[in-house]
Amino acid sequence: MTDAALANAEKPRRDWTRGLLRDPRAALGVALVLLAVILAIGAPLIAPFDPETPDFGAILSPPSAEHWFGTDDLGRDVLSRIIFGARASIVVGVLSVAGALVVGAAAGLAAGFFGRWTDAVIMRVMDVLFAFPSILLALAITAVLGPSLQNAILAIAVVNLPVFARIARAQTMVVRELEYVDAQRALGFGPWAILLRTVAPNIAAPLIVQGSLLFASAIITESYLSFLGLGVQPPAPTWGSMLRNAIGFLDMGPWLAWFPGLAIFLVVLGFNLLGDGLRDRFDPRETR
Amino acid sequence: MGRYLLGRLGSLVPILLGTSLVAFLLIRLVPGDPAVALLGMEADDTALAALRAKLALDQPLWVQYFSWLAAILKGDFGRSIQGGREVLPLLASALGPTALLSAAALAISLVIAIPAGVIAATRRNTGADYAASFVALCGLSLPSFWLGILLILLFSVQIPLLPASGYVSPLVDPAGFLARLVLPAVTLGAALAASTMRMTRAAMLEVLRSDYVRTARAKGLAPSRVVWRHAFANAQIPIVTLLGIQMGQLLGGVVITETVFAWPGIGKLTVDAIFARDYPVVQGAVLLTAALFVLINLATDLVYTVIDPRVRVA
Repeated sequence: MTDAALANAEKPRRDWTRGLLRDPRAALGVALVLLAVILAIGAPLIAPFDPETPDFGAILSPPSAEHWFGTDDLGRDVLSRIIFGARASIVVGVLSVAGALVVGAAAGLAAGFFGRWTDAVIMRVMDVLFAFPSILLALAITAVLGPSLQNAILAIAVVNLPVFARIARAQTMVVRELEYVDAQRALGFGPWAILLRTVAPNIAAPLIVQGSLLFASAIITESYLSFLGLGVQPPAPTWGSMLRNAIGFLDMGPWLAWFPGLAIFLVVLGFNLLGDGLRDRFDPRETR
Repeated sequence: MGRYLLGRLGSLVPILLGTSLVAFLLIRLVPGDPAVALLGMEADDTALAALRAKLALDQPLWVQYFSWLAAILKGDFGRSIQGGREVLPLLASALGPTALLSAAALAISLVIAIPAGVIAATRRNTGADYAASFVALCGLSLPSFWLGILLILLFSVQIPLLPASGYVSPLVDPAGFLARLVLPAVTLGAALAASTMRMTRAAMLEVLRSDYVRTARAKGLAPSRVVWRHAFANAQIPIVTLLGIQMGQLLGGVVITETVFAWPGIGKLTVDAIFARDYPVVQGAVLLTAALFVLINLATDLVYTVIDPRVRVA
């Protein structure tokens, strides 16, 4: 690309980021997501108590000035556990979606660009992965590999692979036929050079939009896995495992059920608002 | 039509074979001896030796896969590690409760979502539209087990109105069955309602802008007739597509909802089996759920051909 073309390519991008923040829903989404990220990164500085240290003098105490969100059955501060719990949600959400995006996009690019048997093999594998309800597949993978942070990330990434692969393939098949790709072929560029330099950047936008929407479902899936005891293992706090624990104390400590769920809800809402906003920017056909 | 159906059925074969391969390989990924994984730690040596011979564990992996597949096709899913019951009847007995719960959830979601979506679209950019759209987005962001717990908290703990969990057969105690059905069905239906409402709204907006709707209005037809007979009839295709996808979500959603409400369906069976390391049941449940999912997708495609004759030609 020439310098002039680069300058032109930069311009609309700046426009849509500004437009995105002017949309009040997307701005709220960005704020909620940023809040979660700040809590996750700054947890040790922000949390008023240690999230894993029991305090047997303050078991199941309701929300108060000292413990804003109350304490759990071991006297641990619920607010601090929620702040530290943001880490598992954000880490699993970001890494699983990023992993699925990179691998899925690569697979879809190869399938769409090379066609023939490459396409057939890759897409049949994706079809099979798509033939499982996502929670069930994630459950089965973590059940077989054992519950841990890494395996939760791996499971959620595998579940999301076919989504990215299908989008990347469809986009690649469109871009492949465009004149500037023909031009590059005529100029003597090899297939890999064309794939990486020309096709990949041109299919990025829909993948990024889909990625932002999948953060929401990845975080919900992570909370399901830890709710079932198949995510990050105790005593490290996760929002899902806090809710699992809350079920045993619904009559004595209902606040244990309120706050972790609210945290999941707000973060997922944030990602959904952000994803909706991004989709509106990129896809003018979607009417609101 | 017959040719179309045959083609669609044919395309299922590689997918079903693929899912069976995944279910087969899942057990091979469990660290250690697959025979021990399938029979449990307490199995005696003769039983282990017999199973090793049956699974052809001394043969190459592809031979093992095909002998396992042959057994599955004959209905031999193995035996549960807990209690030694055959897996297939175990799965069959869990299907009923899951089907009842799913049907109730789907019904609840449609009753809420279709009118809400149509109203939001016809009154676009009014307070009613914003309210419905915002509630739908919240519903989409609500983790279903949290909604379930909140419902238990409200209707079983604070106001003891409904049982918090459990199941009785509708044949034995219809009233008791319904009382236990309400909370899980609402929990499961809420998330479905949210996405159905959004899809209904988007599809209706698309159709309401079309020329024939303008013509119908210009002819002086009653607005309700235009909305339902002209517009909604044509907005059904994306909604049916979504419903097909949602049946898959339902099969996943029941895993969580059944666990929260101790509803003895296929989802709870799967989770219990995972915790008991009851791999034959896990394997069977995964295979059955995936097969159901694939068949539901086929059924969705067939429903298109009924709603939209154009698909048949294509």
